[in-house]
Amino acid sequence: MSEENKEKELSVLGVEELIGEVHEKEIQVIAFRLNEELVGVPIEQIIEITNNRDLTPVPKAPSFVIGVMNLRGKIVPVINLKEHLKIPYEIPEDIYQRNKIVILETPKGEVGVIVDEIVGSVKFPESDILPEPIGTVGIDVKFISGVVQLDRELLILLNVESIFNQEE
Amino acid sequence: MKVEIPEELQEILEEFLVEAEEILENLDQDLVDLESNPEDKELLNKIFRGMHTLKGGAGFLNLTPVVEIAHRIEDIFNKLRNDEMTLTPEIMDVILEGIDKLKEALQMLKESQELPDMEEIEELLSRLDAVLKGESPASQEGEKEKSISPKEEGEVEFVEGISDKLKELILKYPDKDLAGILEEIILMPPDKRPMDVIPEIEKLIEEGKDVKDLIKKKEPEPQKEEEREEKSEKEKEQKTTAVPASSTSGSKSKTASKKAEKKSSETIRVDVERVENLMNLVGEIVLDRNRILRVTQDVEKECRTEAVEKLVEAVTSLDRTVSDLQVAVMKLRMQPIKKIFSKFPRLVRDLARKLNKKVQLIIEGEDTELDRSILDKLEDPLIHLVRNALDHGIEPPEERIARGKPEVGTIRLFAYHEGDHIVVGIQDDGRGIDPEKVKRKAIEKGLITPEQAAQMSDKEAYELIFLPGFSTADKVSDVSGRGVGMDVVASTIHSLRGSIEIDSELGKGTTILLKLPLTVAIIRTLMLGCNGQVYAVPLHSVVEIVRYQEDQVKDVGSFRSFMLRDEVLPLFSLNELLEVPDNNEKAFVVIVKVGEKLIAVSIEKLFGEEEIVIKSLGELLSDIPGIAGATIAGDGRVVLILDLNSLLSDYRTKLIGVKK
Repeated sequence: MSEENKEKELSVLGVEELIGEVHEKEIQVIAFRLNEELVGVPIEQIIEITNNRDLTPVPKAPSFVIGVMNLRGKIVPVINLKEHLKIPYEIPEDIYQRNKIVILETPKGEVGVIVDEIVGSVKFPESDILPEPIGTVGIDVKFISGVVQLDRELLILLNVESIFNQEE
Repeated sequence: MKVEIPEELQEILEEFLVEAEEILENLDQDLVDLESNPEDKELLNKIFRGMHTLKGGAGFLNLTPVVEIAHRIEDIFNKLRNDEMTLTPEIMDVILEGIDKLKEALQMLKESQELPDMEEIEELLSRLDAVLKGESPASQEGEKEKSISPKEEGEVEFVEGISDKLKELILKYPDKDLAGILEEIILMPPDKRPMDVIPEIEKLIEEGKDVKDLIKKKEPEPQKEEEREEKSEKEKEQKTTAVPASSTSGSKSKTASKKAEKKSSETIRVDVERVENLMNLVGEIVLDRNRILRVTQDVEKECRTEAVEKLVEAVTSLDRTVSDLQVAVMKLRMQPIKKIFSKFPRLVRDLARKLNKKVQLIIEGEDTELDRSILDKLEDPLIHLVRNALDHGIEPPEERIARGKPEVGTIRLFAYHEGDHIVVGIQDDGRGIDPEKVKRKAIEKGLITPEQAAQMSDKEAYELIFLPGFSTADKVSDVSGRGVGMDVVASTIHSLRGSIEIDSELGKGTTILLKLPLTVAIIRTLMLGCNGQVYAVPLHSVVEIVRYQEDQVKDVGSFRSFMLRDEVLPLFSLNELLEVPDNNEKAFVVIVKVGEKLIAVSIEKLFGEEEIVIKSLGELLSDIPGIAGATIAGDGRVVLILDLNSLLSDYRTKLIGVKK
């Protein structure tokens, strides 16, 4: 396969796949947007991407919990990741209708997070991961496991363990 | 030896067998460990206790041979753990032999309700006795062999077609094979030489037979090392295959007759996890059924063709089958409450002695069945309540006599079905709860104000004892703990979606009733609407539903009230309890019982009753007050299950006057 063929848009999970360079040990992440930031989560920690619209709000739950949804018979909480990460957010009026939900495998079980846009799957060699530049991104460094410089922008890798292990 | 177990002891026998099997199973490993670590006191104690338990159970069932062996092994370990004896490999051998015999006996008992005859184990017993007396078993071995051989005569049975003379010879030289016997004959003086036997022996040798082929049944001789190893291995093999209740175990033991097959298929032991899994799958089916029912109804509304009619018919039948299936699986998890009730006679006796009180315990309804998961959680609360009854309820004998009561107090522990509930109760004829004393105590502890106390009914006062940190005993005793119990009892029962009722009469006694659901996984609920969402409320907490009528609502003090016939009930709107927007469009009022108090909750919509499967909300949302879990509705959406009890608990504490 030539490099050009690979550049072709492949469809994985119904989203575009942007292919970087292929090297020894590869990391594949699903990239999505939170506000303007491009963030990614390793594909191993992603259970699925859904646009399920039936969210049931949970009264008296912590404010970052948007609701719960039925994921093939399992009840999965859906949270506002922006609030959880303490980055600016607005909850649009139609939050229960207009969203993409990424279901993550976390230390607290399966959790859905609402994202603004699914960008696609990104592959890069492990050696491309750089330590997080302190203060340059809006997300607290303890939630970040590293950054990767892609062609056009910076991809922030989220550390799912530390995000969901924090004491509320 | 045939064992006759009366019908009423069958169940105990079965339990004993399970327990004995477990003890012996663990013993194998323990003995192995002990060999390499003979000074380990903890291990010695453990083995001693195991044997003691085994002996006790067998004694109760009159299984004499088992008792005799277990008793001696127990004694040996008693000496070992008290350092009156040291473990040598020789002693170990005898012990192992005894344990093998125990296993064999229990296997026989299980398969054919038979036990080895006493004569059969006599020799083993005498060797165990010898170990106990401190004689080395090795020296015993030689003597025993001599003494045993004449006795063996009656026990050895030969196959047909063997001459009497040969039989005599085999008995005379128990350790020789045929060739050896032939040699012995040759060595005999000619006049005593049984010439006619020689061709017979030669023929048998030619046929490739030997002494063991001529003997049908023989008392196990002092076994050689490898023989025993082989045997115990066989036994182990047998054990693992016997567990899933297959009848394969029959192959080895002669005693495993056809009866055994019939017997072993009656009960099977199944991993709880498998039942749990089955239960979950049934839960899924129930949800799917709900969904199919709903869709079918919609289809029926839209078009009425013959095919739809048939569909409805099929769905109705499916509905019934699923309900039956659900009940059947539920029953798998049901166990008689006897499992925990049976611990109480001992507990009550010990406690009564400790407290110098005289008490008789009456147990009723011990066959009442409860879901296993409820049963497991019920034990501690029950123990606590019984302790309380003994400690605080029943008076000392002198006091009882002075009050004209029978000297011996009575505690009644009972269980029965009531509708779709199980009621478990504890009744005592002790001094009863003094509501005034309870109130005084609560005021003293700053839990309520004197004004609130004055307004309280007796029943409401009894409720106070379930508040954290409440203790009615004047002095704290080590029996009832330090007042940390009753609130734990209450919260355990509530977590099982049960309720507690207290009835007491001063000087006459107290009755505490625990009402518990039959099962935990599937519940009947009322589906309510509030702020555009559907919620499920467990039916057990709902007393009645009435229409909302503006003129029945009154503002009294800081709370609104609802007039229900002659009663004035505090009224809340579900929206306010859930902290969601309220536009005051109420259609119904649900009357719920919280503790002893009825409370009215106004709701916007009512969708009817539905059977639902409780699912957890996951770790992230595990402790949200007022939400007991969730379920998936017919349309695939998640519906939250409300726990009105805890939703109202904030208000409840205000209502019964507890200061925050």
